Amino acid sequence: MSAQPIRYALVGNPNCGKTSIFNRLTGARAKVANYPGVTVERRTGPVGELEHSAHLVDLPGTYSLHVSSLDEKVARDIILGCMPGEAPPDVLIAVVDATNLRLGLRLVMELAELGRPMILALNQADSAAKQGMKIDTEGLAQAIGMPIVETVAIRRNGMQALRTAMEQFANNFSGERSASIDMPERSESIESLYQRIEALIQQFVEAPTARNTWQDTLDRVVMHPVIGFAVLMAILLMIFQAVFAWAAPVMDLIDGSFGALGETVATALPQGILQDFLVNGLIAGVGGVLVFLPQIIILFFFILVLEDSGYLTRAAFLLDRPMRGVGLSGRSFIPLLSSFACAVPGIMATRTVPDPRERLVAIMVAPLMTCSARLPVYTLIIAAFIPEQNVFGFFNLQGLTLFVLYIAGIVSAAAAAWLMRLKQTRDEFPLLLELPSYRIPSLYHLLIGLRERTWVFLRRVGTIILALSIVLWALSSFPAAPLDATRPAIEYSFAGQLGRLMEPLFSPMGFNWQMCIALIPALAAREVAVSALATVYAVGGEAALGSALGASWGLPVALAYLAWFVYAPQCLATIAVVRRETNSRSATTFFTLYLFGLAYLAAVITYQLASWLLG
Amino acid sequence: MTASSTVTSPADMASTTLPLHQCSKGQTVRLLQVASQQAFADQDELVSLRLKELGFLPGAVLTVLGFGFLGRDPIAVKIGRTKFALRRAEASKLIVEPVAAEAPTEGKQ
Repeated sequence: MSAQPIRYALVGNPNCGKTSIFNRLTGARAKVANYPGVTVERRTGPVGELEHSAHLVDLPGTYSLHVSSLDEKVARDIILGCMPGEAPPDVLIAVVDATNLRLGLRLVMELAELGRPMILALNQADSAAKQGMKIDTEGLAQAIGMPIVETVAIRRNGMQALRTAMEQFANNFSGERSASIDMPERSESIESLYQRIEALIQQFVEAPTARNTWQDTLDRVVMHPVIGFAVLMAILLMIFQAVFAWAAPVMDLIDGSFGALGETVATALPQGILQDFLVNGLIAGVGGVLVFLPQIIILFFFILVLEDSGYLTRAAFLLDRPMRGVGLSGRSFIPLLSSFACAVPGIMATRTVPDPRERLVAIMVAPLMTCSARLPVYTLIIAAFIPEQNVFGFFNLQGLTLFVLYIAGIVSAAAAAWLMRLKQTRDEFPLLLELPSYRIPSLYHLLIGLRERTWVFLRRVGTIILALSIVLWALSSFPAAPLDATRPAIEYSFAGQLGRLMEPLFSPMGFNWQMCIALIPALAAREVAVSALATVYAVGGEAALGSALGASWGLPVALAYLAWFVYAPQCLATIAVVRRETNSRSATTFFTLYLFGLAYLAAVITYQLASWLLG
Repeated sequence: MTASSTVTSPADMASTTLPLHQCSKGQTVRLLQVASQQAFADQDELVSLRLKELGFLPGAVLTVLGFGFLGRDPIAVKIGRTKFALRRAEASKLIVEPVAAEAPTEGKQ
């Protein structure tokens, strides 16, 4: 046995249960990263409970070596062993959904031509048996020349046969590593390959006549153009409700704990620069990120449930046509939905969009979806300026204003996407979306997925926001106010000076210098604008701040401030994520400029129009 | 018709043949050929190959499951035990003929 771990790679169609097998084999020891230079997720980990040392990589789902997306290209390059920085796998574990044999076997036969050692894992063997299918695995294994094992990824001990097959391979392993292979030409037509598969199925598979199942009945409901759409809207409403209502107590708890921690540190340490840095820079900065974690976890939980159950592709199916009207597709639906909690995970989720041009547009418009960080700003200003009264009998004017702000974001996103797609060639990009069977999501896989995504979020954004909040703290703290200062210290700082410099630029929309100052620390996270305003107006508490604003701003200014926040990429973490995900400086520059441009325009128009209307 | 490797002779293309996107919900059809489609430009060949790789081969029996939210697009079809969503452009590449509704069988009986 070699000292080096044996390298296994999981290959299979999307939705064949590959990742579930990966989770079962690696347990909680997986590492998720990116392949260098491309934003395709690289999931690797050591395999536990084996007598030999084994390293497993979960390749992106693929239908064919003749690739049609970036995901498939990465999978192919690793299988062939020509991916830079990635050693060729010693063994391919081909995963085939036993209930979907033809499609899976086609890829297996294509892979077999490469001559790499292979193990075929027939996943969902239990479902296949339940449907009355009988597969002669021994006969089929002899016919195609590779060991076949049955796996049930939703069961804890469903991997026994696969582990045994891996041990057997290791016992016979010479220690000679695999080399890279050149991409073979298509040696036989697709028709003849399918004929061979058909012959194999005739010989080794016993299957009852496919009949209508509860799956088809469910599909008739959820894919119905009217009923299905109502179901989708109900699900979305429930997710929104959960993200905002369920998360609130935990968010308050986190907010309160960080506040208490800040106070403890403030009393424990002598007043001075260190205390100020710890309390206002570090603790407030980290707290500002962590407060969104409950919402993000809840949102990801629902997305994972919808994804694992197979429903998500039905939603993409229903929404494909309306979204295509503005140049997107059903596949952009989830990234944009996620952006209502936070644009950062939303932009990260655009990786699932196969068309690179569509993906770029989805990234560009994602921040126009009203994220939860805008809510504190919106509620502060709405409470201070919009009277609490009913209009048309039953609409609350404050709630209506909030609704209009959300709609403004969605409509603007649609318009921006439409405009951006105008200048691109409108070649058709195939949808070709497989609608997988419905499954009950397994809690084990949900928890692993949730942990994975939460960790990615914390690591990516936590570090960026943390660093930025320190920089912004420094800008707002230096130079220090003179000893005889009568006005708030922030006015003397770089941020204060910058706010004064910005004032002439922002005067067409009526912003005073206090409002400009608040925009600077709000670059760390939008909701910081609220505490920054409290600082410059030297008031504590939201109610006091509200009346201070009401006294010094006019309604047109307040509305213009709201309009600014609808559009401005007022969040450096988002810009940093765009830079990472597009891997393009010019795209990031365009992103920043066009959104600031829109914000400026919207604020000026709102201010001028409101001033004129209100006399 | 460069994209198709099995071009049916004109005599077989009776008036009953139609592209998949013109079929109605619940209809069962047999695929005759994968034709070319201008909308995909130079990607057309690749789309044809991918459709075939996914099992859209002449002779395959498809059932139309339904259509998306607006218009008759995209279209959901069942082929064997697998379901796919295709846009109108992809569906228009699939030339089919209606058959009497019969359940497709799999393997030996």
